[in-house]
Amino acid sequence: MKSPGTRGHQAPPAPARSDPGPDDAPAPSRPGRAGRRPPLFLLALASAAAALALLPLVYLVVRAVERGPEYAWNVVATDRTLELLARSVGLAAVVVTACLVLGISLAWLTVRTALPGRRAWSVLATLPLAVPSYVAAFAWISARPDLAGFSGAAFALTLVSYPYVYLPVAAALRGIDPAQEEAARALGHGPWSTFRRVTLPQLRPAAAGGGLLVALYVLSDFGAVSIMRYETFTRAIHTSYKASFDRTPAAALSVVLVLMTVLLVAAEARTRGRAGHARTGGGTARPASPAPLGRLKWPALGWCSAVAAAGVAFPAGTLGYWLAVGNSRTWDPRGLLETGGITLLVAALGAALTTCLALPVGVLAARHRGRTAHLLEQAAYAGHAVPGITVGLAMVFLAVRFAYPLYQELPLLVTAYAVLFLPIAVGATRAAVLQSPPVLEDVARSLGRGPLGVLREVTVPLAAPGIAAGAALTFVVCMKELPATLLLRPTGMDTLATRLWTETGTGSYAAAAPYAAVLILIAAVPSYLLGRHRT
Amino acid sequence: MTDLRITGLTKSYGPGAPVLNGVDLSVPAGRLAAVLGPSGCGKTTMLRIVAGFLRADAGTVEIGGRIVTGPGTHLSPERRRIGIVPQEGALFPHLSVARNVAFGLAGSSPAERRRRTGDMLDLVGLHGYGDRMPHELSGGQQQRVSLARALAPEPAIVLLDEPFNALDSGLRTGVRADVRAALRSTGATGVLITHDQQEALSTADLVAVVRAGRVVQCGTPQDVYRRPDDPWVAAFVGGVVMLPGTGRGTTADTALGRIPLETPVDGAAGTVVLRPEQLTLGAPSGRAPHGTVADVSFHGPDTLVTVAVTGLDSPVHVRVSGPVAHRPGDPVSPAVTGTATLHLPRRDGNGCVAGGDGPAATA
Amino acid sequence: MIWKGFDMRRSSSRTIGALAASALLVPLMAACGSDGRGTGSGTEAGGKNEGGTLVIYSGRSEELVAPLIEKLEKATGAKAEVRYGDSAELAAQLLEEGDRTDADLFFSQDAGALGALGKEGRLAALPQKSLDTVDKAFRAENGNWVGVSGRVRVIAYHSDKVAEAPDSVHELTKPEWKGKVGYAPTNASFQAFVTGMRVLEGDDATRKWLKDFQANDPQVYEKNGAVLDAVDDGKAELGLINHYYWYEKAAEEGADKLKAKLHFPTKGDPGALVNVAGVGVIKGSDQSTAAQKAVDFFLAKEAQTYFANETHEYPLAAGVTSEDDLPPLESIDAPEIDLSRLESLQVTLEMLQEAGMV
Repeated sequence: MKSPGTRGHQAPPAPARSDPGPDDAPAPSRPGRAGRRPPLFLLALASAAAALALLPLVYLVVRAVERGPEYAWNVVATDRTLELLARSVGLAAVVVTACLVLGISLAWLTVRTALPGRRAWSVLATLPLAVPSYVAAFAWISARPDLAGFSGAAFALTLVSYPYVYLPVAAALRGIDPAQEEAARALGHGPWSTFRRVTLPQLRPAAAGGGLLVALYVLSDFGAVSIMRYETFTRAIHTSYKASFDRTPAAALSVVLVLMTVLLVAAEARTRGRAGHARTGGGTARPASPAPLGRLKWPALGWCSAVAAAGVAFPAGTLGYWLAVGNSRTWDPRGLLETGGITLLVAALGAALTTCLALPVGVLAARHRGRTAHLLEQAAYAGHAVPGITVGLAMVFLAVRFAYPLYQELPLLVTAYAVLFLPIAVGATRAAVLQSPPVLEDVARSLGRGPLGVLREVTVPLAAPGIAAGAALTFVVCMKELPATLLLRPTGMDTLATRLWTETGTGSYAAAAPYAAVLILIAAVPSYLLGRHRT
Repeated sequence: MTDLRITGLTKSYGPGAPVLNGVDLSVPAGRLAAVLGPSGCGKTTMLRIVAGFLRADAGTVEIGGRIVTGPGTHLSPERRRIGIVPQEGALFPHLSVARNVAFGLAGSSPAERRRRTGDMLDLVGLHGYGDRMPHELSGGQQQRVSLARALAPEPAIVLLDEPFNALDSGLRTGVRADVRAALRSTGATGVLITHDQQEALSTADLVAVVRAGRVVQCGTPQDVYRRPDDPWVAAFVGGVVMLPGTGRGTTADTALGRIPLETPVDGAAGTVVLRPEQLTLGAPSGRAPHGTVADVSFHGPDTLVTVAVTGLDSPVHVRVSGPVAHRPGDPVSPAVTGTATLHLPRRDGNGCVAGGDGPAATA
Repeated sequence: MIWKGFDMRRSSSRTIGALAASALLVPLMAACGSDGRGTGSGTEAGGKNEGGTLVIYSGRSEELVAPLIEKLEKATGAKAEVRYGDSAELAAQLLEEGDRTDADLFFSQDAGALGALGKEGRLAALPQKSLDTVDKAFRAENGNWVGVSGRVRVIAYHSDKVAEAPDSVHELTKPEWKGKVGYAPTNASFQAFVTGMRVLEGDDATRKWLKDFQANDPQVYEKNGAVLDAVDDGKAELGLINHYYWYEKAAEEGADKLKAKLHFPTKGDPGALVNVAGVGVIKGSDQSTAAQKAVDFFLAKEAQTYFANETHEYPLAAGVTSEDDLPPLESIDAPEIDLSRLESLQVTLEMLQEAGMV
């Protein structure tokens, strides 16, 4: 909260609190807001969003059991399923761990230390968001073929997904009152001990939320694992479509993936529940004074440079090389421009719809912590770990039957983006709403606003910067989406991602490079803004 | 002019002791009542139920004779015509001062809105501050804007939730007086939630002392101070001197001699409660009670002298106007002026209907 | 702050308004979009809506197909719209779409996807006249798809380092080739070859070959092109590829400059499997006449020559020959195999995974 522009967002002079809290709260349960009934319209809108997110499940169940539950069970109940599960979970565990190390260390360095050029580093730290996993993987495997397999997949996925941890953790770090750390230091804890015992526990909800997104990203990723030739659950689902033209095994396997998602989301919710609303404050009145790095300055700079080199410079350099050697084909600036424009349009629409759908779910999750709110929020995650191709086929299945006029039209594609990426926007909305004190909403109610008026005039305007950040993130992931786009785009329409796929499919990386470059450049803009975002 | 009547209000969060356990409170139209209680006594919960943010388990809330909370009834907060002034003001940080104040005037014409906003800012002494943003105001100014915002739509009831907590003590008295004056001038009925007995006694027309989810005493500030219903209330609303004593009709026998009682008690032993300013210090003589000065603490307008009295287990406090010449170790003789209350063991009270107090309630 | 200069207190509600407005736009666009759809409902019986747009789902690349479609439009006067994708994914999509599909024609990279659609009854029978244009080996037995171009699996060898290329893939498991063979295990054509071997020699024999081949430490590449490059550079001495990669490279760099040469295995070796790209007309198409015309166009001389020249594949229609000095298709001692059976890829993939190749 350091840039002057955001000052108005803060409840002055200190964050107000309307939870009865310790002043007036009986110890055993959380009174006040938890018990408040959510307004009906919010519940209805959130239920609609959750229902949309659950649509692929309908399809999966229909397909999985169409040849009888026994057949599906036989497909799933094999050693191979267990093995794939182990491979996927193993990869997710390693990538999440690596992302936590990268994300937390970079957040700490860029937010809390006197690292030279921390502004620039914080932007560089978010830029890998712009790189599609398949581009990163391809860049790396062409340089280092020996990376193929587990290590390469883990490496490439870590480099493109650690910003999911970096961004929320950096925001949380800015929100922690430095007085707590000073108190710990005064009580005789060294810097490391203070970080571990005071700071880290407060970062847990943010880190867990980011880690969950990374885990789901890894579970549903196809691009990086296929290029790195590492068999995972999602890759097996893809091959199942290709190999047998039988949709039952793929659907049955996808159901397992959904169950895994449920477990992960529940685990994340547990972390969050124990930590409570750790970030009710709207930031600190006093920014922390940056910790001097001393002898660690050069190692710290080296660490940041290494991450930026691997995550940004290397893929960019590879693209530059392909652009330079691209002699076999002529440039097509007009096609590039047109495809870029279409990509912007669909990604913007995708981000807008996803954000609108996420709004009621996020508000509900932040303000009404009941079982219903919890279930609705979890439901929003349903589509996120399912491979894009499965969500795409689900939308084909449903649209052809129930919304035929929409089939292979833009709205259906945009809806699929919402199904796939709802959790990203829900998480951002929830965090943003939590930052403003709920008492403001009470006051607005007492001044004659109904629940909808409060949402429109108080909750949303106050959470707007955070919601916009979520929209920017969603925009980036929509831009990069490939499998569902291939299935659902209007015939004849191309996005940068599908164009990239077409060109690499014919083996012409030189021809693909301009599309990849434009894709990364456009996606870099919101990523850059996210890196500068100071809420 | 609208009165507020709360009857049998009960609320619990899950199993365990209820937070509110049958609260009764009646505030006459145009009066300011303070709800005074320690942390965790349920006073904020009560405010949230009155405002309509929470539903009660049982009991009713009536505003001007209309039931807004009751069995099967729950009027939503935006329809109750209740203004609230939360802790620290809770101004909308994204709106200017004028737009904060005008927030509750959605139904009025722009001109009317402007006029009313101006009036309200004048009322709280912030003329010309309309274009500022909340973060450009001091804490006291924010609190005044918050009040102006609550009063602008001419609410029937104004609820103030510990509104002076965040202010430093120098500022507090001024803001308190301004708030009282503003409330008076609009004629709104007010409920001030506080844990500060000074604030309650000096600001309100009526004080309701709340403990463990019940109103244990309710009356004018003088009543509550002078005639506390039990030793706990006595101690909570101010400094006390407690002496074991035995009722002898209109007087009680204590270590400090025979003391006149507010209400006669006969033959029973209990606790005699006095205020420190009811004690005076004289030179020790003959049969008068003997004491020794244990400590002297100077407060400016008065001085608190701690005296160990022969025959009493614990020392008594004596408040003396201005500075005193006594030093620790000096022998003194404490004497009592005025009347005391005698409390028999295990008395319990709840409920309060203060509407009949009439003009006497005005401090 | 996400947008620089974004004035929080004044414009945030406007931003949200804009977001909401764009969300409202979506259904609006839906309405406009459905107007723009040229063709009618796919459920209508074939022929009712003739004269509309011919919708082709193409698993073959845009680079190859787009010029051909221009020729098709010119030749038949029909307007065509192409949806590009992966053959298998398009097949899955066609299966999901069922009889409501807009697609009239499916142009597949391989026979397997066509076979799968045919099995589910999603392809209409083709007229015998069209089918008879190509050899029986390169079309569906039940006549609902037909191959339009063919590719042959070959063994590429470095002409300086290898005096005589092995004539069978079975020789590649011998110690003398240890570490010297390049291949692309994730490539669909390689996988079709393995499936072919399973059909010809049985699963056990194939499993053993894969195990032995893998034990012989082959060099792994992402694509056939990379395998050929490796052989040409001498990094690998032998490579398992499709024939046309060599002809493409030869056309670009000059045949005499290439160190890599091709050997077409004989004696019905699975290493010389011929696979085809083919077309089928979607059952219930409302453009069945146009689709039929398109099939015939693909089998006619112009298109066949185009395949031969552009992709260096084998033209399959009788009487059309390639300009390349390809060994005639009839001369290749390809294994006798029903191409529709290449659809059974699942077991193949499991074997490849078992062997640790993919």
